[in-house]
Amino acid sequence: MISMRGYWARRLGGAVCVVAIVLVANFFLFRLMPGDPVSTVLDPRFSPQAKAELEVLYGLDRPLAVQFLIYLERTATFDFGLSFATQRPVLDEILSRLPNTLALLVPAYLLSVLLGTVLGVLAARRRGRAAEKAVLSAGAISFSFPSFFVQMVLLLLFAYVYPVFPLRGSLSIPPPQGTWPLLVDRVWHLALPVGSLVLLGFGGWALTVRNLVVKVMGEDFMVLARAKGIGERRLFWGHAFRAVLPPLVTLFLLSLPGVVSGAVLTETVFSLHGVGRFLLDSVLGQDYPAAGGAFYLLTLITVASNLVADFLVQFTDPRIRTGERSSS
Amino acid sequence: MRRFRWSAWTLLILLFSGFVLPLFLAGDPREPVASPFARPAWVGRNQAPALAFSVPPGEGKAFAWSWDAPRGLSVSGEVEFAGVPGSARLTWEKPSGEILVLADLSGQETATLDLDARDMAFRAALGLSPFDESLEGLFGGRGTIRVRIDSDVPVEKSSLSVRIPGDRWGLFGTDQRGRDVFRLFLAGIRVSLLVGVMAVLVSTVIGLSAGLLGGYVGGVVDALLMRAVDVLLSIPLLPILMVLAALWGKGLWQLVLILGLFSWMGTARTVRSMTLSFREAPYVEALRAIGAPTFYILARHGVPTVLPLLLANIALGVPGVILSEAALAYLGLSDPRVISWGRMLHEAQSFGAFTTGAWWLLLPPGLGIALLCFVFMDLGRALEEWADPRLKGGGGA
Repeated sequence: MISMRGYWARRLGGAVCVVAIVLVANFFLFRLMPGDPVSTVLDPRFSPQAKAELEVLYGLDRPLAVQFLIYLERTATFDFGLSFATQRPVLDEILSRLPNTLALLVPAYLLSVLLGTVLGVLAARRRGRAAEKAVLSAGAISFSFPSFFVQMVLLLLFAYVYPVFPLRGSLSIPPPQGTWPLLVDRVWHLALPVGSLVLLGFGGWALTVRNLVVKVMGEDFMVLARAKGIGERRLFWGHAFRAVLPPLVTLFLLSLPGVVSGAVLTETVFSLHGVGRFLLDSVLGQDYPAAGGAFYLLTLITVASNLVADFLVQFTDPRIRTGERSSS
Repeated sequence: MRRFRWSAWTLLILLFSGFVLPLFLAGDPREPVASPFARPAWVGRNQAPALAFSVPPGEGKAFAWSWDAPRGLSVSGEVEFAGVPGSARLTWEKPSGEILVLADLSGQETATLDLDARDMAFRAALGLSPFDESLEGLFGGRGTIRVRIDSDVPVEKSSLSVRIPGDRWGLFGTDQRGRDVFRLFLAGIRVSLLVGVMAVLVSTVIGLSAGLLGGYVGGVVDALLMRAVDVLLSIPLLPILMVLAALWGKGLWQLVLILGLFSWMGTARTVRSMTLSFREAPYVEALRAIGAPTFYILARHGVPTVLPLLLANIALGVPGVILSEAALAYLGLSDPRVISWGRMLHEAQSFGAFTTGAWWLLLPPGLGIALLCFVFMDLGRALEEWADPRLKGGGGA
């Protein structure tokens, strides 16, 4: 029980650590940029009076420590200020885009993990067959082709050469009326982005699953289990797969930050109205409150999903529950 | 490495074409050479080739035309007549025999011409549609086209020249500004290789120091370093790279530094785990016993121990950095004056490769990046086998 608490203390401590570092980095990064924030919003021809007023508005006339406290208080309440570009609260801008990003990432990630696991298991069980070759080459492609390039080629193929899917956007303009047509329109717009993410994601996943399963199949405990006369099916799902699950969940955890990076690129290629593209647009447009807010929220989402995945690991690895240290 | 790997040959070829070949090619890769979006020559057999000729006095110039109408045409130069002509025209005879007047030169002893088919007034005068890109009205089929100066006074001197920029060009065609994509591709090799290798060197120095220090010293230093690794691994990489690139500047060296600072975690982990067993080795214990300083032990014995695997790690780290650099450039966060493969993809997307179907703007840079990644992954694997011969021909992956 005690070690269980220790485990969670360590995990939560790590998460808090990441958030704290991002908070501090966010504060200083956006104050270290060339020129102070006021000079980037303001025309240099503005009167010194107007400049001073703006400085008060952004709290820049106070000491750095006080600014930091104000910043912490605001960030805790998700108040990132107004976007320079749209003059609307940054949080509203992000929240209006968040559903689009989630609708892209959640199905894409779940599908690629599912497909990758199934194919990886297949490849490991039937070594040397077509499934294994497919998995090996799909894995190699996903590691060395730029994801956005593959997506651009797919876009060119299926939106220009064979115009099956839309060239850009998350919805038709104007959006169709009624719930069902709207849903169909959404799926039609998301098919290519989600499909391409699955295509790019499943290979690496399948390759890992295959390697893990192949390795586990040769372990002593598998030989013993086989010698006991356990059926092939139970041998695989009950022993081999069970042993593979904990590292898989850990891998799932480690790949979450990459998924967020993928969102920026995918949303740019397919011109989707999401958080990743919002971050890009604000970075390019020097919209510092918006960029800072989007970056902070993206990190927060990653850390939070890391914690959730951590919570799931304990169901797959009994050693964590009982507090034994893993041997590796 | 008894067998010379294919990847080593490919890398040599890439090095040659990136660094040596451009020295022998004339012209600046940034200069336009043909029409925008000209197809590669080997697919555009029906596309107009680039053509330039002068129009001599008298019979003019006749040429055979057996391609589709081009999208561009310009006429420039000077004509000097023997006297002031009552009527003088620059005529264009279509393959069908129909004669069009390109310009009226009457009443001037010397006439200067600077006509371009992009000019709306010129188009309107010829009865060409202002919206249709191709000059169908001037060419219209295959046959002989004749351009001549038709005047009642003899032509003394003519420096008139006709230029058709051509709708097909070279190996990879041209981009939205009419630049040669092949030349841009060659220039891109340099950036990808330089940034990739330099950034990995930066990250290796950091990772090596962190790994050696953490593994050998242990304790609080180790805990802090590994915590830092964990933190960096759980922050989404691309967003932080984007923010840093935007804030610090987009120059190549800033990019190298930024990429290096955020890709040392894997190296640190590998080096650390090797150092942990290195620390316990009897000869290291003996070194400690005779009072060798920590720095000496690490520099003289630690680094050589981890070096073989470190080399493999360097090669295996290059693809990740190349992909990150390409992603940043693709997102528009690179120096617009520096030609790189990522930048080419960015421009392809921003300037209508999708609406014109210009696949030749996508494939060369994209496949180039992939090829470079494959090469370094294969080199890394070869180095790994060299460092640890047990890996050779192993049953697993």
